Amino acid sequence: MPYQDALTIVAPVRAGAVDDLKSLLATMGDGVANGSVVDFSALSGVHFARLIVVDADRDSSGAPLPASLVFLSDLDVSKDAHLVELAEIAGEGIDRLFGHCEGYPAGGTITPRDRLGYLIRQVVKESATYVNTTGRTARQIRQESELRDAIEAFLDTSARSSPNSDPSEVFKEVAELVEREPALRWAREAAERPALGARLRELGHMIAIPLLLIPVLPLALLVAPIYLFILRRHERRDPAPHVKPTEELVHDLAALEDHLVQNPFSALGHVKPARFRRLNLVVILFFLDYATRHFFNRGNLAGVKTIHFARWVFLDDGRRMLFASNYDGSLESYMDDFIDKVSWGLNLVFSNGVGYPKTSWLVFGGARDELAFKDYLRLHQVPTRVWYSAYGNLTALNVAQNERIRSIFSGTPGRDDERDWVQLL
Amino acid sequence: MPPPTLDLHDIQGLFARGYGSLKAAAFLLLGVEDSDAARNWLRAVTPAITRADTRPAERAVNLAFTSSGLERLGLGPETLAMFSNEFVTGMTTSHRTRILGDLDDKAPSRWKWGGPSSPRIDAALLLYAPDGAGLRALEGEQTRILELSGLSVLQRLGTSDLDGFEPFGFRDGVSQPFVEGLSKAGPRETTVRAGEFLLGYLNEYGLYTDRPLLDPSADLDDGLPRDAAGSGRADLGRNGSYLVFRQLRQDVGGFWRFVDAATQRTDGSSDPNARMRLAAKMVGRWPSGAPLTLAPDADDHRLADANDFAYHDHDRRGTRCPIGSHIRRSNPRDSLDPRPGSERSFEINRRHRILRRGREYGPPLSIDQALAGDDSDDRGLHFICLNANIARQFEFIQHTWLNNPKFDGLYDDADPLVSPSTPHGGTFTIPTDGVRKRVADVPRFVSVKGGAYFFLPGLAALGYLAGSR
Repeated sequence: MPYQDALTIVAPVRAGAVDDLKSLLATMGDGVANGSVVDFSALSGVHFARLIVVDADRDSSGAPLPASLVFLSDLDVSKDAHLVELAEIAGEGIDRLFGHCEGYPAGGTITPRDRLGYLIRQVVKESATYVNTTGRTARQIRQESELRDAIEAFLDTSARSSPNSDPSEVFKEVAELVEREPALRWAREAAERPALGARLRELGHMIAIPLLLIPVLPLALLVAPIYLFILRRHERRDPAPHVKPTEELVHDLAALEDHLVQNPFSALGHVKPARFRRLNLVVILFFLDYATRHFFNRGNLAGVKTIHFARWVFLDDGRRMLFASNYDGSLESYMDDFIDKVSWGLNLVFSNGVGYPKTSWLVFGGARDELAFKDYLRLHQVPTRVWYSAYGNLTALNVAQNERIRSIFSGTPGRDDERDWVQLL
Repeated sequence: MPPPTLDLHDIQGLFARGYGSLKAAAFLLLGVEDSDAARNWLRAVTPAITRADTRPAERAVNLAFTSSGLERLGLGPETLAMFSNEFVTGMTTSHRTRILGDLDDKAPSRWKWGGPSSPRIDAALLLYAPDGAGLRALEGEQTRILELSGLSVLQRLGTSDLDGFEPFGFRDGVSQPFVEGLSKAGPRETTVRAGEFLLGYLNEYGLYTDRPLLDPSADLDDGLPRDAAGSGRADLGRNGSYLVFRQLRQDVGGFWRFVDAATQRTDGSSDPNARMRLAAKMVGRWPSGAPLTLAPDADDHRLADANDFAYHDHDRRGTRCPIGSHIRRSNPRDSLDPRPGSERSFEINRRHRILRRGREYGPPLSIDQALAGDDSDDRGLHFICLNANIARQFEFIQHTWLNNPKFDGLYDDADPLVSPSTPHGGTFTIPTDGVRKRVADVPRFVSVKGGAYFFLPGLAALGYLAGSR
């Protein structure tokens, strides 16, 4: 089993085809994908997927930026295997969608090979990704949820499981159930872990990056005062107008939200045109990706425990940036989490975007300006009509707890473990 | 930072107190047809409005407007757009009905008032008096002024005095945040900055919440306070608060019959002790008000007013007061991330508080009457609360804490007392030191009969509205 992978496809839409494309997307979902055109559940190893349209715009110099159809997925399978499935299993839907895009094969019959070739050309590399818990597959998440449901239902009816029962007895009874039920027997094996080779490769990456950076350290220290000087100058000068979103905008976006326990968030912004800002963002995303890859990969993104997957992607040669995440609860609670727990982290990245509330020293201020920040997010949000989640009514905390409940069956628990385990239910 | 000086003479009295000694109350929901008539009426009624710097013994009158009401008084679209989006768009948008759980047979289209199929509500006149006779007199006066001015009373909501208990039979209103700047001092953890409830004051982020700031030239007689943030603009919001009003019908009979059935002995007979224990577990307090976290095994009248407690140190898993119980999820105190049990947890909790000012309605019903099925009367709570940011306070509490089946790590447990239980959330989990107990298929005991978002302006703002063109 591999580490989780992500796929980002960005396809410029043909002039005049944007409205048609948006109408097509509108038939595919109202915040949650309805399975028409592309049935994401038929593809292997997909945690999340979405289709959005990024509107055409102009950059700071007035040069046009194209409208694009963007497809995002979070995967247990490799990007390549997923692309092949898109071309083969979902081919017809892919034709209908990407037929609106420039350079898509036209005429007669389009073969899976044509599609694959096109899709591969449109793949964009993410600058940073976040996975709630690396190595945990969508299949495992669903299975462990079923296991917990079965155990809870069993305890509801079991005569021997009362609050006063001996936890060891209760555990024994449940373990027998797991053994007895063919549909649950898989739980007696430990969850699959990434292969040794893959783990060694990750370890290598974790060590190699700091090692490679050591020689640069003296230079970095030397440059730091100059960097901070330039940074402060930008921070003082960058305009940060507080613009309120209109009633209609909020209404249209909110109409797509809170249909399930989880929600998608997609936002698009212009990177500040100064070369300093661009470079700053590239470096910060590099370190962010390093941090999420090796440290924030066990259910906790710097204090926020409600995000399943997230990514940061440059569009239009770095002139715009797309942020996409899958999170639990309402947007209001998501934004509050950001402000209360990880405002410094948001400031690091998003203060390089046009219109972000004023920061100081890169980490202070910014998102702490509560309403300015919330309005900024709403103004930059991209409506996500077509969104697929493989487990839309499980929170990240549920998923983690289910894994703990399952893990006992492959071990040899002591009495204390059994008592703790019973209290997980 | 020193506590702010609150301009109590300009703030309406409901902010400072719930008028506990004025036991009779009625709420008149008004419709405005003619703007001039409404302004005339507003000028006539303003002298009677109770301010926060008095402690009325005889009568109290407070007045709040919906956004349509403000529009009818002459506020233009640019000014209205400076109020919060929730207030302007109202309680019944399709997204908000999802957030608040007002779905299916609780949908606004079924409401008695405030919904799309009932007359538009523009204002709420809140009347309080020591007794029925006093209230009748006050109401008579106010109704005459209304009639003379040509305003219509669309709905009269009466209240009843249940002596501090809500209709299910539990002591209500024990936990209220202390407001910085009001006289009563409280512990730091539960003392909340005034800007969480009043516009024009610093909130828990040390910021001013969005508020309608006008060009000073629009403030003809210089009556409005100037923006405390120093912009020089006239602050129409200062000393005002958003007032959330929901009429919540309580199925008291259904509640007691459900807990009775869920706790019957194997021979089918009722078990009054077990019944009361389950009810208390669902509420989080015993009928007297004693919190389960301090009185886990039995009611204790000495703890009836106890509110200075937290969850993390002594009740982290909820073996005393279940995680899913009503009071724990409507005010989790120190139980949530980022660090449960710490000042950081309290700090975040303070950003999600409300001042509750509701009143009960309908006749009381004893448990025996409830069990006997003698409960045909309509009864419940006129839920009223004040806050400065409806999305972050009232709606957050309602959606992220009460209605959310996933609250604090739960799976399928919406609030067992007040939340809708479909399609998810009908489970109530009672943690113990061993195997948990679960109550399945908890039905819905509370349904919304009406509601709207109002704005409770300061007195100077009322003056501006009375003269505004």
